Amino acid sequence: MLKLFRFLRPYWWQVVILVLATALQVYTVLRLPALMADIINNGIVPGDNNFIWMAGFKMIGLAIISAIGSLISSYFAARIGTSYARDIRRAVFEKVINLNLLDLKEFSTASLLTRTTNDVTQVQMVTIMLLSIMLRAPLFLVISVIMAIQTAPDMSWIIIVGAVAIIGSAIMIMALVMPKFKIFQELIDKVTLVTRENLTGLRVVRAFDNEKVEKKKFVKNNDALTKLLIYIDKVLELQNPMVNIIFNGTTLLCFWVGITLLSKDFAYLGNMTAFAQYVTHVMMSFLMMSLIFVTLPRANVSAHRINNVLATKEKINWRDKTNGVPDKTPSVEFKNVDFYYPEASEKVLNDISFKAEAGQTTAFIGSTGSGKSTLINLVPRFYEATSGEILVNGLSVKEYDKKDLIKRIGFVPQRGMLFAGSVKSNIKFGAPNASDEQMHKAARIAQAENFIERLPQKYNSHIAQGGSNVSGGQKQRLSIARAICKNPEIFIFDDAFSALDMKTDARLREALKDVTESAVVLIVAQRVSTIKDADQIVVLNNGHVVGKGKHLELLNDCSIYQEIVKSQLSDKEYSAELKLAAKTVKRRANE
Amino acid sequence: MSKTERAAKNKSMWQSFKVFLKSIKGYRIPITIAVILTIGSAILGLFIPKILGDMTTIAVNSYPELDWPALGSKAILAIALFCGSAALNYAQAFILAVVSAKYTKEMRERILDKIFRLPISYFDKHQYGDTLSRMSNDVDVLTTSMSQEIADVSLSLTTLIGVMIIMLTISVPLSLIVFLVVPISVVVVARIMHYAQKFFREQQSTLGVLNSEIEEDYAGSIVIKSNSYEDDALVEFDKINEKLTNVARKAQVFSSLSFPVTHIFTNLGYVGVCALGGIFVVQGQISIGDIQAFIQYVSRFNRPITEIASTTSTLQSLLAASERIFEFLNEPEEEPDAEPAKTIDKVKGEVEFHHVNFGYLPDTPIIRDFSVKIKPGMKVAIVGPTGAGKTTIINLLMRFYEPDSGYITVDGIPTREMKRADVRKMFGMVLQDTWLFSGTVEENLRYGSLSASLDDIKKAAKASNVNHIIEALPKGYRSMISEDSDNISAGEKQLITIARAMVANPPMMILDEATSNVDTRTEQLIQESFEKLTAGRTSFVIAHRLSTIRNSDLILVMRDGAVVEQGNHDELLKLGGFYAELYNSQFAEG
Repeated sequence: MLKLFRFLRPYWWQVVILVLATALQVYTVLRLPALMADIINNGIVPGDNNFIWMAGFKMIGLAIISAIGSLISSYFAARIGTSYARDIRRAVFEKVINLNLLDLKEFSTASLLTRTTNDVTQVQMVTIMLLSIMLRAPLFLVISVIMAIQTAPDMSWIIIVGAVAIIGSAIMIMALVMPKFKIFQELIDKVTLVTRENLTGLRVVRAFDNEKVEKKKFVKNNDALTKLLIYIDKVLELQNPMVNIIFNGTTLLCFWVGITLLSKDFAYLGNMTAFAQYVTHVMMSFLMMSLIFVTLPRANVSAHRINNVLATKEKINWRDKTNGVPDKTPSVEFKNVDFYYPEASEKVLNDISFKAEAGQTTAFIGSTGSGKSTLINLVPRFYEATSGEILVNGLSVKEYDKKDLIKRIGFVPQRGMLFAGSVKSNIKFGAPNASDEQMHKAARIAQAENFIERLPQKYNSHIAQGGSNVSGGQKQRLSIARAICKNPEIFIFDDAFSALDMKTDARLREALKDVTESAVVLIVAQRVSTIKDADQIVVLNNGHVVGKGKHLELLNDCSIYQEIVKSQLSDKEYSAELKLAAKTVKRRANE
Repeated sequence: MSKTERAAKNKSMWQSFKVFLKSIKGYRIPITIAVILTIGSAILGLFIPKILGDMTTIAVNSYPELDWPALGSKAILAIALFCGSAALNYAQAFILAVVSAKYTKEMRERILDKIFRLPISYFDKHQYGDTLSRMSNDVDVLTTSMSQEIADVSLSLTTLIGVMIIMLTISVPLSLIVFLVVPISVVVVARIMHYAQKFFREQQSTLGVLNSEIEEDYAGSIVIKSNSYEDDALVEFDKINEKLTNVARKAQVFSSLSFPVTHIFTNLGYVGVCALGGIFVVQGQISIGDIQAFIQYVSRFNRPITEIASTTSTLQSLLAASERIFEFLNEPEEEPDAEPAKTIDKVKGEVEFHHVNFGYLPDTPIIRDFSVKIKPGMKVAIVGPTGAGKTTIINLLMRFYEPDSGYITVDGIPTREMKRADVRKMFGMVLQDTWLFSGTVEENLRYGSLSASLDDIKKAAKASNVNHIIEALPKGYRSMISEDSDNISAGEKQLITIARAMVANPPMMILDEATSNVDTRTEQLIQESFEKLTAGRTSFVIAHRLSTIRNSDLILVMRDGAVVEQGNHDELLKLGGFYAELYNSQFAEG
């Protein structure tokens, strides 16, 4: 929480106004009991009506000043608190949106979302509370003590009695309850866990007819939770009656002591009333301040989660200007590239080398975990290679300005992802200046034209948040169109064709040839049929390149590739393919 | 909001309030006692300022020879009153704490029971998070606001009436000042809060907009990065963020205005009482002690009014929570099992679909007049593109959903005439979406047959190729696992669910082949154990591998949710329909 207070810096003068206004308000409010004592001592006792009226008007004036102070401080507390929250929210969003994928891996999307919204709201709430109530309490405390001592110095020991009683009771209750809170949270988590499991595993629970077993588990935890809850409540509910006894007791004490002092000085008649009110204020302030211990830990959790994001160091440093001149002809080359995740012992990619030329398609295949997705994520520098070099158009990716590199690449991720807006805004997402013709062409190649034309408003049709109003296949085709519309030098398809049926897949790849004549195409695929015609197939296994070549060549000499093909073909077809491969390779060797 | 809408809303709120009242009927005796105790505690507390005032009066009147015995008895009376009041207060709080804890427990259990009795279709349509939040947040809101409301309303009303009576007995003109000033402040504050509420609602909806904007950007961060869209995204974010800040500021300012406004009115009343009261004392109309007491009553008059004013918002959240809870509890449940239910002693595994029609939505039938006879021990493959509705068949077999017409028989007995639990126990189910509960490996494996011994479990684990994986875990079969535990991989989890099905040893199997999230070696292990599991059993496999499909006795081809073709591999190829197309496109030459 304290770390986040740096966001208050721009508002320091508002904080100063706030403190001054609050002090003014507290001071004027606390002057009232003293004036009241004056009325009793100098007005009522001598029977001076004029004095009473004068003091009355003074009090009205003070009440109005106090109200103005209070208005000003409330306004500034709200103003500072919300501006502060806005700045934090923006800082978190900016950080997240600019972090690279590797750093983002540490957080789930849902947790980042909570951090940007709910956690900030929580911090805002507590900050406003600190700025209003918590600021007021210590001021009340100090000014009340001073004024109490001024009014009736002989009675000041009562303040200590009251304060000790209040603090003592609060500490006692905390000591009884605090240790239980941890267990309480654990039990709540358990009850939630059992419920969540029953929801996610509903089919399994019912398939095994185990509702009774699950209920028993739930009841056990629920009972324990209820018992603990009753205990905690029993203790917590002590607070109210105890505070009441202390307040009433102290007031009685003030009156009693005041009356005994009457024989010394009749002015104690008014003073003891004022004094009793000051003591009440002192004790109230302590109660208010004890609220900090309840609210601060909760806000601290949120603040900590926000700080976690803000403190994430960006591991990739971009150049401000591309350093060097990239080739005119596009190409992608890997030179002995290794990659492993920080703190991981095993390499995800091990000594990868290949070159992808313009006008050629390079495909990557391998089982899950073979590293093919990681590999292509290195090209737009979403991840950073641990060692080795990656060249785009002959220039290391480390020498590029971020935008300069990204504009060369058309990247289609595994899952088709769209943004709220229109079909048009989605296709032109990466190339806002593209012409409509370019957009139509991109849609046509991506096999998206047919369904777009059938939409009620064609290219202006609304796309809902996350593209939830179009099907998975349509989403994928639109996201392919988005990449084509950018007219990039390098196309990267990260398993982008799997969501399409095989016919569309084939048609799309055929149409793509139009725009990829002078571009580099990198494809990650699962289906052999998708990559069969590639100019170069790189077979990956456990992060190693185990084969590189064309389909028939690999069938002939790469056992991992054979395994993959075999799993997707019938035995008869497989042996036919093998024969064909052997024949072709032999023929080529003869030539 | 139109008038009729508002009326309808009021009616539904009133309806849910009635349901809520009915649900706490069992606690009416302790609640009544708590209310009586609260009233008692408030009344005792009311007299304390008066007694303190009396002490001053006694002191002033007997000055300078203070009447100590009279003062002492007053002091003792005051102590007795505030101790008594505190004791009653605690007794009340204690009772309400127990009541609300028990009520919370009861509601949670009712919701869990309801989860078990609702049809699967409910959960396919609603998000888990929604049900979870009804059980945790809504129940919490309901019970805390309930006990708060009971205590607050009875306390505030008693205090309010009591203070008014005592004030009037002390001095009618002074009371009138207070009665005039305080209600004005309450009305003004209510007006301000009305505005604040409006801004709070607006803040909530803007927050929603911001939320979906951020969610989209975070989920699609790879697209943003690969199109250099970061700066534009930030500009869009700034716009909404600024709007949110403005609304939040207004909401905050307005809601915090209530404090100074109440204060100024209280202070004005206070000043009026001091000044005018002082003059009354000078004129001898009332005693000085009474004026002291009166000032204390003024400060006590304020709170119950604001408290009662705030009950509307507490009441609203209480009603909203109870509406959500009871709406869930009133969802239509699964139809009860047939009575008397038929049973099958020894399942042979002959499954037959008789003219089955089914659709998830009433007007979009997806399975039309589907009939097929599956002989005992047959392997049935269900194939089709993603999203073709392959799980529909499983939903019908397991009676997670019921056919709209037609029926399914096992060994000639219609499953709808059996108990659901008995139908489900005939099938072992291994889904791609593995589900393990948090507990030890052993407990998870025993899930299908609670009486299985550790030896049985180990035997099944060996047969499913998972024994060595489990033994390699730090605590072997005693190791803790759960759905999200990362000490075992997704493929290994599926192996454990296979072993779980083997422990249960059901006569028929339903399997879902993994598509991609498993490495090659584990996939082989899974394949092997699948074969062991299906040997000699009637089995249904959602198949992705061509080898599995070709080895099946019967293939059901699904497309757009419907079974479009059925037969074995060669028959279907000869047919030259969708299956042939699907199959050929996989390896179409050229």
